[in-house]
Amino acid sequence: MSQAAASVVEMHGVHKTYHLGEHVIPALQGIDLNVRSGELLALTGPSGSGKSTILNLCGLIDTPDSGDIVLGGKSVTGLNEMQRTLLRRDALGFVFQNFNLVPVMTVAENVDYPLFIAGVPAAERRERVAAQLKAVGLFEHAQHRPDALSGGQRQRVAIARALVKRPRLVIADEPTASLDSHTADQVLELMRELGHAEGAAFVIATHDSRLTSRCDRVLALLDGRLV
Amino acid sequence: MTTPTLVASRTALPPEGANLASPHFVSPRGGPSGNFMWMKFAVLNTLRNRRRSLVTVSIAALGTAAILVAGGFALSTYQGLSEMAARSTGHLIMAKPDQFNKDEDTPLQHGLDNAQELRKQLLADPQVRQVLPRVEFSGLISNGEKSTVMMATGIDPDSEFAVKGPFLTVTAGEVLSSGSKEPEVMLGEGLAKSLKAKPGSSLTLLASTTEGALNAMDVIVKGTFSTGVPDMDRRFIYTDIATAQKLLNTQRVSSLGVFLARMEMTDAARQRFANANPTLTVQTWLDQAFFYKSVKDLYNRIFGALGMIIGLIVVFVVTNAMAMAIIERTREIGTLRALGTLPSQLLRTLGLEGMVLGGVGTMAGAVVAIAVTVFLLVVPMEMPPPPGQSKGYPLIISFDLTMYLATMLTMVTLTVLASIWVARKTVNMPVVDALAHT
Repeated sequence: MSQAAASVVEMHGVHKTYHLGEHVIPALQGIDLNVRSGELLALTGPSGSGKSTILNLCGLIDTPDSGDIVLGGKSVTGLNEMQRTLLRRDALGFVFQNFNLVPVMTVAENVDYPLFIAGVPAAERRERVAAQLKAVGLFEHAQHRPDALSGGQRQRVAIARALVKRPRLVIADEPTASLDSHTADQVLELMRELGHAEGAAFVIATHDSRLTSRCDRVLALLDGRLV
Repeated sequence: MTTPTLVASRTALPPEGANLASPHFVSPRGGPSGNFMWMKFAVLNTLRNRRRSLVTVSIAALGTAAILVAGGFALSTYQGLSEMAARSTGHLIMAKPDQFNKDEDTPLQHGLDNAQELRKQLLADPQVRQVLPRVEFSGLISNGEKSTVMMATGIDPDSEFAVKGPFLTVTAGEVLSSGSKEPEVMLGEGLAKSLKAKPGSSLTLLASTTEGALNAMDVIVKGTFSTGVPDMDRRFIYTDIATAQKLLNTQRVSSLGVFLARMEMTDAARQRFANANPTLTVQTWLDQAFFYKSVKDLYNRIFGALGMIIGLIVVFVVTNAMAMAIIERTREIGTLRALGTLPSQLLRTLGLEGMVLGGVGTMAGAVVAIAVTVFLLVVPMEMPPPPGQSKGYPLIISFDLTMYLATMLTMVTLTVLASIWVARKTVNMPVVDALAHT
C-alpha cells in the first residue's frame, strides 16, 4: 500500500484566520499535513498555536480560509454544511477533553447514538455496542448513566462512542487533560490499542508528554506553523 | 497493523461524485424504532430539570383548563340562548314578506288570511311537531284609574304551553287555557304591579282594529309572569288568539311559528316550506334571535381574546422553558452536531420536547376542565342575573369533544412550533461555536 493510498486526511497550504472584534488572529499559516491510516498523530504546542484549529478543520466542523483539505482522497473543502455533517456522521469520530457524553442517555445509548443516527439496523447496533463496550472494559456499566462513572470511565465511553462506527479518522482534543495520570495512561493505551486494531487514524491535540511519547508521530506547532 | 475484517467493514467514504445531500446518504430515521428513540430522548430531556418542567406543565394545564372551561361556558350559553330563542318564536317563522320588512299602518295589515289552511298543510309534514299562530299588537291596558302601554301577543294557549313547556315563570295565578268563557290575559309582573292587578282582577284592553277604529274589551287577569327581563315585564301581556282577533276585529294572524322535531332540521325545512309557499317569507329562529346573536358576538370576542391571551401565555412559558433548556445544552447540541446529527433531527427532538411539555400540560388541563364540568353538574351553582335581568341562571359548562381536541391540538402545535423556533438558531450555529459555549 503506497503512502498516498493510505492517507486518511491531507492538508495542503491551509490558512485560517479568526476575527475578534477589530483584531485579526492568524490561527494557521500554510499548514501541510498528511495523516496515514492507523496512525496516532500528536499535535503539540502552546495555547493559541493552532492545534484545535487543525482538529476543527480535520473534523469538518470548521472551514479553511484557503488551501485544501482532502479526506479519503477527495477534497472536502467545497462541501456544504449538510455534506460535511454526513461525512462526520459516517467517517469521523470525536473524543473531547470533557467527554461530552449525553447525561440523560445510558452508557450503551451514548455509544449507540452514532450508529443510530447513521441508520444502522437495531440488531447490528446492539452487537457492535456490546463489542465496543467490552473492548473498553465497560460492558457491565452499559445501563449506567455517565454521572455514575469516574472520569476515566467516561472517557472510555467517549472512545467507544468515537470508534463504534469504525471511522477512518478520530479527532481527539486533549483527551487526557481531565484525567489523573494513572487513568490517563489507561486511556492512552486504550486509544493506541483500539486505534491500531481498527485501523483508525487519530489526530490528537495535547500538552501531555506521556501521550506524545506513545504516538506514532508528533508535530509541534507555533503561531500557526509546523515547526 | 490493521485487521482485514475490521478494515473491510469500516465505514467507507462516499464515492467520488456522490450527491451527499441525496436521500441515500440521509439516514432512514423514520421507522417506529427511530421515532421511539427520538421520543425517549425528548422525554428524558424534559426530566432533566423536573421543577422547571413541572412549573411549565402546570401553567400549560391551567391555561388549557381555563380555555376549555371558558369555552364550555360560552357553548352552554349559546346552547341555552338558541333553545330559548327557538322555543320563543318556533324554529321557523312564516309570514308575508311585508310583516318582516315594513311597519304596519293598521294592526295586522300584513297578516296571514289563510292561517288555518296553511297550518294544516304544515302539520302534515312529518318533521313538524306543532304550528302556533301568533297575533302581535299594541295598545293600552287600563284598570279604570290608570292606563298604560302594552305589548300584547295572542296565542293558542293549549298548543303553546304543550309545545313550549313552562316557558314563562308564573308568579301568581295560572296560565291561560283555551275555551275560557271570559276573555283572559296574563300580565308581566311589572305591569300587574303598575296596575295593581292580581289574578281575578278585571282590566280593559284598548286597541285599534284592522280598520283603524278604536275598540275596547274587558278581560280577567288569569295570572302574572316574569320573563326575567324587568323592561319586558312592565309591558308584556299574553291573551288567547280568539280574544286578540276579536279585539282587532279580524281573522288574520301575524305569523305562524313552526316547531320542528329537532333543531338540526331547521335549514332543510326552511328551504322546503319556502319552495312550497313562494308568496310567503320563511325565517329561521336565528333570523329573529337578535339577543342570541349579540350575546354570541360579544362572548366570541371576549372569550376569543381571553383564549388568545391564555394561549400566548402558555406558549411563552413553554418557549421560555425550552429556551433555557437549549441554552444550557448548547455544548451538548454542538457535540451531537459534531457526531453527525442533522439540524433537522435536532429540531425534531427539541420539537418533541415542546410537544411533551405542551401535550402533558394540555392533557392535564383537559382533565381539570372535565372535573370542573362534572363538579358543576353534581353541585349546581347559580350565576348572578345578567345586566337588565332579574333572574340568575345555572352555571353549566358544556363538554364538546371537538372543542377539546381543537384546543389541545392548537396548544400542542403552538408549543412544538415555538420550541422549534427557539431551537433553530442554536441548532444551526457553527459547531465550533456551540462546542465552545460555556
